[in-house]
Amino acid sequence: MDAPDNFKRLLLAAIPRLRRYARSLVFDGPRADDLVQSTLERALTRWQQFDERRDLLLWLLSIAHNAHQDGLRRDARLSMLEPERMEQELDRQAGAAQPPDIGLRLDLLAALRTLTPELREPLLLVVVEQLSYAEAAQVLRIPPGTVMSRISRARLLLRRVLGDGKPPSRSHLRRVV
Amino acid sequence: MDADRIDDGLLSAWLDDELDPAQRAHVEQWLREHPEDAERVRQWGADRDALRAHFDPVLNEPVPASMQRRLLTRPLSQRPWARAAAVLLLVGGGAVLGAGAMWRWQDLLPGPLAQSPRQWVHRAAVAHAVYAPEQRHPVEVGANEEHLVRWLTKRTELPVKLFDLQAQGFNLVGGRLLPDASGPSAQLMYEDGEKHRVTVYLRKPEAGTPAAFRFEHQGGLNLFYWVESGCGYALVGDLPRDKLLALAMEIHRQQTTQAGTGG
Repeated sequence: MDAPDNFKRLLLAAIPRLRRYARSLVFDGPRADDLVQSTLERALTRWQQFDERRDLLLWLLSIAHNAHQDGLRRDARLSMLEPERMEQELDRQAGAAQPPDIGLRLDLLAALRTLTPELREPLLLVVVEQLSYAEAAQVLRIPPGTVMSRISRARLLLRRVLGDGKPPSRSHLRRVV
Repeated sequence: MDADRIDDGLLSAWLDDELDPAQRAHVEQWLREHPEDAERVRQWGADRDALRAHFDPVLNEPVPASMQRRLLTRPLSQRPWARAAAVLLLVGGGAVLGAGAMWRWQDLLPGPLAQSPRQWVHRAAVAHAVYAPEQRHPVEVGANEEHLVRWLTKRTELPVKLFDLQAQGFNLVGGRLLPDASGPSAQLMYEDGEKHRVTVYLRKPEAGTPAAFRFEHQGGLNLFYWVESGCGYALVGDLPRDKLLALAMEIHRQQTTQAGTGG
């Protein structure tokens, strides 16, 4: 039985948010839209499983997350590279499709691409999609404490890659002669 | 190792507003005393803002036709005749359609899933949160000053009109200018007998912003926003949604009535 019009209309309203999340995950515009299409397809086939008391957007984001994971695993199987390197390779290729950007923003996006999905996803869900830790935990099916520590690590890694050049503040100051 | 040291996870959670008041106070005290950590947190905040600035514009992109087709249904807002039909169904055919009936249909769109608020809507909420609690300087120019409308109209290049909300128990306190993406926006503040305040944020909408009447709930505030005659409006307040809706409807009624009456 096809999903009711009302449900489809709700999906339509959620598309801008899904597109933003997908774009932040895979960078490449067309690939991001492919991810959103997959998400919509899955949502349409599972509409009867959706409990209306739940938050639809969180449900959709978790479908998108799983679809993205499945895509990465599938691509990994097609190649001899181990999954982690494949992820980085995919990210690098996705990044290459971007037009040149200016100044700091390019550095930040390049830095973002160096993060593995495990670190990137909670960061993006909380920072860009503005979910709470509890909501991000729901979407990713990990404990909120893990969300917190991954975001913290992601932030540190981003800063390190962006190369402040400053050592961690807790070390004693060294006099440079 | 300093046992009282605040670890990065906690600093990061502070930035994300995930701490309870006691933890938050503890971290803020730490940040006051440790400027190098404060600087790191500030940089994380700058990274966060840069990420948002980069990805938020995706929200404003048109939905690809293939996705719209897949969902088979075009949104009602693109079919004015269908919207009118839907309203008739709601009101119960034959009834006279007033502005109230139109808003009631739009109101059905669930809050979190309505098209995501533009950044300016968020700005309107922040502006309310900043100025509504002010005791001494809630507004820049008071309602009693004759040049309020002229000043705001001239600076924002918008048709600023002082709505009369006295029938709903609200009096105009005054207004101010606020910085916005492409020039200043205006904020009008109204207050009732119990010092409850609502603000109306006016700005120039981007081309193609839908006029559709929308509701948002942000940070404990309720918000209705729409576009009318080339001006974007956001009505913000800590009121129950139905009371705020009544105010929004009255404002819109005054906007669309031909005879402009003085306050």
